[in-house]
Amino acid sequence: MIIKFMKIFHRVTINLLLFAIGITLYTQSFAQNRYTISGTIVDNESGETLIGANVYAPELNKGASTNTFGFYSLTLAATDSINVVFTYVGYVPQIKKVLLDQDLQLEIQLKPDIGQLQEVVIQSTISDENVERPQMGVVEIPIKKIRELPFILGEPDVLKIVQLLPGVQVGNEGTTGYHVRGGNVDQNLVLLDGATVYNPNHLFGLFSTFNSRALNNVTFVSGGFPAYYGGRLSSILDVTMKDGNNQKFGLNGGIGLISTQLTLEGPIIKDKASYIVSGRRTYLDLLLRPFLPEGNESDYQFYDLNAKINWKISSKDRLYLSFFNGKDNAYYKETKGINYRILFGNTTATLRWNHLFNSKLFLNTSLIYNKYQQNVAAVQDNYFSQVYTGINDINGKIELEYFPNPDHLVKFGVLYTNHRFLSGGKSELIATNNLSSKLNIDNVDADNFNEYAFYINDEFRISSKLSANIGVRVPGFISKGTKYNAIEPRTSLKFGLTSSSSIKAAYTVMNQYLHLIPSSTASVPTDIWIPSTKQTKPQLSQQVALGYFRNFKENIIESSIEVYYKTMDNQVLFREGNQLVENFDIDSSLVYGKGWSYGAEFLIKKNTGILTGWIAYTISKTQQQFDDLNFSNSFDFKYDRTHVISIVGSYAINERWTLSGVFVFSTGGVYTQPVGRINVFHGPTLFEGNYLVYEERNNARLNNYHRLDLSASYKKKCKIFKIPFESEWVFGVYNVYNHQNPYFVYFKIDPATDKPTANQVSLLPIIPSITYNFKF
Amino acid sequence: MNKMIGLYRNFVTNYKNIIIFILLIIFITTIILSCQKEIVVKPVSGYESQLFIECILFPGEIPRVYLSKSMPYFAGEVIPQQLFARGASIRILKDSEEDILLADSTFDRFRCRWIPFYKGSVSAEFGRTYELVVNYDGQTYRATTTIDQKSVSIDSVIYTPEFFDIFGGHDGVILYFSDTPGQDNYYRFQMNRMIDNTRLHAHELDGLVSDCTEGKKFLSVDLGRTIFSDENVDGQAMELYVEVSFEYQAGDSAWVYVQSLDKNSAEFFSDLDLQLQSIKNPFVENVFLKSKIEGAIGIFGSVVRSDSVLFIYPQDNP
Repeated sequence: MIIKFMKIFHRVTINLLLFAIGITLYTQSFAQNRYTISGTIVDNESGETLIGANVYAPELNKGASTNTFGFYSLTLAATDSINVVFTYVGYVPQIKKVLLDQDLQLEIQLKPDIGQLQEVVIQSTISDENVERPQMGVVEIPIKKIRELPFILGEPDVLKIVQLLPGVQVGNEGTTGYHVRGGNVDQNLVLLDGATVYNPNHLFGLFSTFNSRALNNVTFVSGGFPAYYGGRLSSILDVTMKDGNNQKFGLNGGIGLISTQLTLEGPIIKDKASYIVSGRRTYLDLLLRPFLPEGNESDYQFYDLNAKINWKISSKDRLYLSFFNGKDNAYYKETKGINYRILFGNTTATLRWNHLFNSKLFLNTSLIYNKYQQNVAAVQDNYFSQVYTGINDINGKIELEYFPNPDHLVKFGVLYTNHRFLSGGKSELIATNNLSSKLNIDNVDADNFNEYAFYINDEFRISSKLSANIGVRVPGFISKGTKYNAIEPRTSLKFGLTSSSSIKAAYTVMNQYLHLIPSSTASVPTDIWIPSTKQTKPQLSQQVALGYFRNFKENIIESSIEVYYKTMDNQVLFREGNQLVENFDIDSSLVYGKGWSYGAEFLIKKNTGILTGWIAYTISKTQQQFDDLNFSNSFDFKYDRTHVISIVGSYAINERWTLSGVFVFSTGGVYTQPVGRINVFHGPTLFEGNYLVYEERNNARLNNYHRLDLSASYKKKCKIFKIPFESEWVFGVYNVYNHQNPYFVYFKIDPATDKPTANQVSLLPIIPSITYNFKF
Repeated sequence: MNKMIGLYRNFVTNYKNIIIFILLIIFITTIILSCQKEIVVKPVSGYESQLFIECILFPGEIPRVYLSKSMPYFAGEVIPQQLFARGASIRILKDSEEDILLADSTFDRFRCRWIPFYKGSVSAEFGRTYELVVNYDGQTYRATTTIDQKSVSIDSVIYTPEFFDIFGGHDGVILYFSDTPGQDNYYRFQMNRMIDNTRLHAHELDGLVSDCTEGKKFLSVDLGRTIFSDENVDGQAMELYVEVSFEYQAGDSAWVYVQSLDKNSAEFFSDLDLQLQSIKNPFVENVFLKSKIEGAIGIFGSVVRSDSVLFIYPQDNP
């Protein structure tokens, strides 16, 4: 029945999109005199663009928001003077009285709110976006707000915050990546200034590669995807870097137990060009070296570097150049147990040009390069395994935003990516615990393929109660004579019940031409990225979602309930018994199947006041079915978690002290445990031995995962050499009650007694942290 | 006492920063070094023992059925006698003829243990179809097989001191023969040798020592672990690289065969081989054994052997 419903929604989307385009053209041709107010909204202290700021004409009940580049456009009927209100979270609202008898360009500079605002004014400016916006599953996280949320290991981290949202869960402790509505980690698209980041994690998933001090805004989408996003099945994390303070030089940094970071920004030409450079490095390797026991050679280091220059060429043109480089190098070696070396890194570079054709038409053109490399080698029980992935992308995008009137926001564009993939692996018996590379990259064939997409999307208001976000994306893939094309309808509808509540529905189709093949047994990340081929078809998902959204107390408290059902086709896993060999034929190593996920997500959130935070609860089920696995029976997805709870709180005791805490709970992850053994014995051949009886894949669960983190921050204004600066001490404890959360399970059979043992390994115990932050 | 408290206070005041730094270092070190905590895992409950049936028919040979019970994964019983399914009724039917199998055993001098099985009295014949019927503990299990594989003729067998396959580097032999065209064929290596306890088994690497041979030589039948198929090489010359199970010295002689297996046997033993590798190599995907006998785990299949070729090791093992 759900499939039928999806097919109906598919047809409805196309029809609604045509309807929306028709209405847009109609209103344009027959509209009375209308004039457009447009411009950019920036922070008046730094010149940073404010993304998602609101522009609202209360007398006409019309509004708009700024785009990723801080640009807004609001077309209204000609009138005598009206008030236009400009608001943004954490800033003092501005009201402008304007005479609307011609097009106006208003460049707005909002002042940061330093806490002196009257409560009634605060309440009136609190956004009701979660009720009013037609899209579901969207969370905007302004970076200013991130610093009010709990610090984990002394660092405000974007990815850690995302992992606390409903519908999102982490993998097992120590694994990188996150899972959204039953999807694997490769189904999340992570963008940094438009460039894809293939692995956005450091340090076994404790930190992301995003240094929050270099970021401006984060948007997370887990459902109801607009057509301008695509290429992945499960989620989009769109991260925008700061442009750099174009008013004055700024320096901020932090020194912690785990890492240190420094950020420099300032004007190159005041009001016209600015830069920002932010770097971070850990020094665990330096601290630990003298204390390691004999025979234990361990090392861990990571760094990341963000840099950006932007230049306002004219009132209509702006140029940006941003760069990111991050690397992790972990090495663990001792006399017994698992030894590994993990080396991975991302590099991205983005050149963007914004152009304003007129007050209603905005262009963004991007040229992007990104490079990702992962080289993982591990030795366990005298067996060596190595996996290498190298991805080089060159990407071009042309994206236009058209603001015909306040009831429509039309986005359309085209993008093209050339991917160069290098994937290889090797596993063999070895005599010593030698982690040196045994995979000859020169023997691994590179794959080149091209990906492209066209899209058109309209977010429009049908009536005062009904609004929609409708779009179509047409992606395609070409490689070695193999072509794939698809049509992806995207629909989100919102019906307002009252001024503070609404119901929403969404239907989306997504295609993905890349696959990350997970290993079901390895305890280190030996996953491989591959492109689609003639045999390995693109992943395809269809998702329907319904939700009820309700705000309380003038939007101070937000709540929502969302239910979803998602199908995922053309899923891939390694064949049983698959062992990596150099230059292996990937298609013959894989098996194909499908997956499905359904669940309900609950969220209640308080946004302002002394106490802020949220409680998120997700109940869900995700399963897969492969004809060549598990006797063709369906089985639980590796990261199926029935219950996931996140409780997040931040309490500002006074102007200086803030306490915050995070509690997370999730049902244990699944793994495959053999249920029986048989002896095969016909004389001493290599066949002889114990063999395992498996009845079901992923038939056992690890212990439940739960953890409490607490932190306290102390802010103070200080002076050094008479130069004032802001200081902050952050004291934190990760995993306060030292719960042994599962990392992985391994089995061993004692060769002398033939008796098996199974052990669960935990990774991260209680970890205190102290960080000192400063800002000039 | 007051003086001591005063001294302590002075010490802390004067060296406060150093003390804090040292405490921090100790904290970090302790935490990072105590990274891996091992916890015993609970076994999956509710497993009921299943019957494991293994019978391979060889033309011209009396059939044997190895019948045992599977045990829960964490159970301790491992020797054949403890697992043997006693009291079963086993018949092998051919047309209207019936061969009733009775319990018997041999003593494995290399492992110092009895190997029980059920043994028939009528030799299997090439070209015939057989049905196996096992009644055990109120349940009946049936399977059929037809012995119709073509045997091959070995062209030559040569020694190789080192070759590499996905399992690593090995010493062994290379068999040369031609595949029978026009059908799907599956092959396995067999080597018969008379050996004593001076020729250690590969499993000796695990620390096991055989000590029941009393210095005498006994027949060992070494079966290759890999099943080779003629996929994509139908009717062509075949070259099988095979690792041998026992040590050897120059001059040791052996009789080498190529077994031609039926499809079911090939798939079953291939799964065993892959699973064995996945057990040893933690980076290999788990392999589920797919039984060829409904209701039980196991295989009822057939093998046709080639004529043997005498092989003499030219050197000691590396």
